[in-house]
Amino acid sequence: MSPALEQRQLPGGCPLWLLHRPGPAILSAKLWLHGGSSADLPGRRGAAQLLAGVLSRGCGPYSGEALADLVEGSGAGLRCEASEDGTLISLKCASDDAALLLPLLLQMVRSPWLVDDQIDLERQLTLQTLQRQREDPFQLSHDQLRHQLYREGPYGHDPLGVEDELPEIQRSHLQELAGGLGQQGSVMVLAGLIPDGVEELLLAGHNGSPWATRASDRRQGPRGEGSAGLVSCQDDTEQLVLMLGCTTAPLGSPEALALRLLHCHLGVGMSSRLFVALREENGLAYDVGVHHPARLGDAPFVFHLSSSSERAGDATAALLDEWQRLLEQPLSRAELDLALAKFRGQEALGRQTSSQLADRLALVLGHGLPADFADRSLEQAARLDPDDLQAAARRLLGRPSLSLCGPAAALREAEQVWREHPLSGPTTG
Amino acid sequence: MQARPSPNRLPPSSGLPHALSSSPLPQPQRERLRNGVPLVQLDLPEAPVVCLDFWCRAGSASETAAESGMAHFLEHMVFKGSSQLPAGEFDRRVEALGGSSNAATGFDDVHFHVLIPPEAAGEALALLLDLVLEPRLNGDDFAMERQVVLEELAQSEDQPEEVAFQELLRRACPNHAYGLPILGRRGSLEAHRPEAMAAFHHRHYRADRCCLAVAGPLQHLDLIRRLDDSALADLATATAADTLAPLSLSSGDTTLELPRLEAARLLMAWRFPGAADQDAVVGGDLLTTLLAEGRRSRLVERLREQLRLVESIDLDLNVLEAGCLVLLEAVCEPDQLEAVEQEVRQLLATLLDTRPQEAEMERARRLVGNGYRFSLEAPGSVAAMVGNSALWGREHSLDAPLQWLQHWNGERLSQELIPLLAPERAFTLRAVPA
Repeated sequence: MSPALEQRQLPGGCPLWLLHRPGPAILSAKLWLHGGSSADLPGRRGAAQLLAGVLSRGCGPYSGEALADLVEGSGAGLRCEASEDGTLISLKCASDDAALLLPLLLQMVRSPWLVDDQIDLERQLTLQTLQRQREDPFQLSHDQLRHQLYREGPYGHDPLGVEDELPEIQRSHLQELAGGLGQQGSVMVLAGLIPDGVEELLLAGHNGSPWATRASDRRQGPRGEGSAGLVSCQDDTEQLVLMLGCTTAPLGSPEALALRLLHCHLGVGMSSRLFVALREENGLAYDVGVHHPARLGDAPFVFHLSSSSERAGDATAALLDEWQRLLEQPLSRAELDLALAKFRGQEALGRQTSSQLADRLALVLGHGLPADFADRSLEQAARLDPDDLQAAARRLLGRPSLSLCGPAAALREAEQVWREHPLSGPTTG
Repeated sequence: MQARPSPNRLPPSSGLPHALSSSPLPQPQRERLRNGVPLVQLDLPEAPVVCLDFWCRAGSASETAAESGMAHFLEHMVFKGSSQLPAGEFDRRVEALGGSSNAATGFDDVHFHVLIPPEAAGEALALLLDLVLEPRLNGDDFAMERQVVLEELAQSEDQPEEVAFQELLRRACPNHAYGLPILGRRGSLEAHRPEAMAAFHHRHYRADRCCLAVAGPLQHLDLIRRLDDSALADLATATAADTLAPLSLSSGDTTLELPRLEAARLLMAWRFPGAADQDAVVGGDLLTTLLAEGRRSRLVERLREQLRLVESIDLDLNVLEAGCLVLLEAVCEPDQLEAVEQEVRQLLATLLDTRPQEAEMERARRLVGNGYRFSLEAPGSVAAMVGNSALWGREHSLDAPLQWLQHWNGERLSQELIPLLAPERAFTLRAVPA
């Protein structure tokens, strides 16, 4: 039932992984390139995403319009996005159109046009998006917490960029960045019904000439840089948004697996601890959960909740107590078993489509981890016990920061609760 | 990321298709339980999970005025346990089996679905049916869950875009359920009682108003045997059929000042034929794709790429029984709003005068066709598609939408659907920062 995996290499060094999947004639291709927004230089934050945005606005023999005609005319999807650690190019198409479309992936990377007019358009759209995002109190709270946890460090800004710095990014800067795409590591993953001779197709835009790159290796990603504390922003909303979190560990690090199980325990599904304790038993929120993305560096581990202003104090106390509980009390065996079942279940649920399969494999390989990382993690997770999880929590989750966004009265109430709670520590407030 | 979401503004468009030229599509197997409840199964042997999807014609349009928000509130209460299952037990058991569950309430219908590894599907099915058909509706749980629903309402009211869409529907669909919030009015929610909810459940969760769809690897499931002994097969038929008033949309326009809005919005709504006319639904999908899907679509190319007036412009067909709604949203700087509206109207006027070219028709056909095929990969989306169709008595094959797609050309679109998009038929709402 699981798709057949095949490892190859493109001339020039890019690892090529094929996930053959019988069934519909669909092809998903992902090209993961090391280096995302965390590589943005100070003063030019947003450059990685701006570059990603213009890669599909002209490359090889195609103008932006011609490229859009080709892709949309084939009913295909082509996206390029920068995240914190990498830039990902994704193509989804009918397998029959592979010969037409697969050459585009490396043409975007190797021969982008980077036309000034298109850079300006992409920049303007990005600035507008950053402005619109401020309508969302979750976004405000999240941005504020990120700055508290990572300051001006590599993970300290929205991958979209910083409003004051985007105008400073010139075509020459993007050209320089484009020249380095994939040089720090890359991986190509194809999943679905894969045609024969994909190596030739992938290099067809450059007459078969090899693309010099290399596989991603394991390396240290960005660290957390902030100190624990409280950050608030006033907004005229009905609810108070709370985010409580700290920086932790990279995907694949010794403690990451314990954290992943804590994530499952606390935030995955309607039987999760936070959902039950805050929503089902106290009706304090509709939306409550854990944000803990996979990262090459110190990943954030964040509880999030939004609750009516008039219950700000109760909601804050309940959220802080849940975090404190992790430090003081090990999970029961039954809780750990449920977390393990969810961890396994998430793996199966995340393998439903060709795109999901390709995505997961590209992420793992892009982080310099082995292709069977997920299976190994499942085996290792089964050997962890409640003490291992508690030890990881104590080492990594000891001093969280609290980010609040909401009306003044709710902020005052929540801040008061924070100051009196053991988590705010003797030196805070 | 949210558990148990209610639909953002409208139920997800229930089914437009897409396609790749070759491989044959799986065909739904259709049966009926002894009391007439439709069962649709679709075998996807390669899928890692099975989706069990229970559908019922009990969306917010089935509410009386006093029942505002009841359909959605009931969706929440269903997860608070049944006569057999204590509150939380369903979630714990399904998730311990490696599954996940969720539900969504729309205007027309509600569905409850579970994704589960195949070996546990039988057990999960029994749990799901018990939960949905015999909810406990305990008074304390009811009071607690009301708080959760009120929090959900507050959360959506803190998103100014949601507020703008709700106002658009209120003005465009007066005197119709589609103009009322699915989450309900605060005052009504505060007044609801468990007995009234039980009556709502009893009235709507009936044999002739429900169906079950199952998609995934099915080889060992033997569903019909399991189901013939279940509460689903014992369900009685509804005593009175309720009829959904056809939607008539009021044209007009208004400007709304909203606090906390950062970018202006131009919102427009038009009425299209209802979901029963699936051929027209496919045509509507083609038309919205031609106009606003991708950089080479007319609206995106003109307003975003060339004139650079908008951050984004979207046009979506929301498939609904009493009449589909086509909704436009353009996001722009407040001082560009007038120019954006003028350009949209101009572009639509041009469309009314000159029929689409074959090249743009073909581009739209490919996008719609492939999108459909792509959506058939995941058990959840397949089950939702066939489940929704079966619920409303539409029994076409999975290939049918692809065939309808081929029968639409520029001339037919111009004659049958484009006139419906005339600017004067729309309700227009301009939202600007207060």
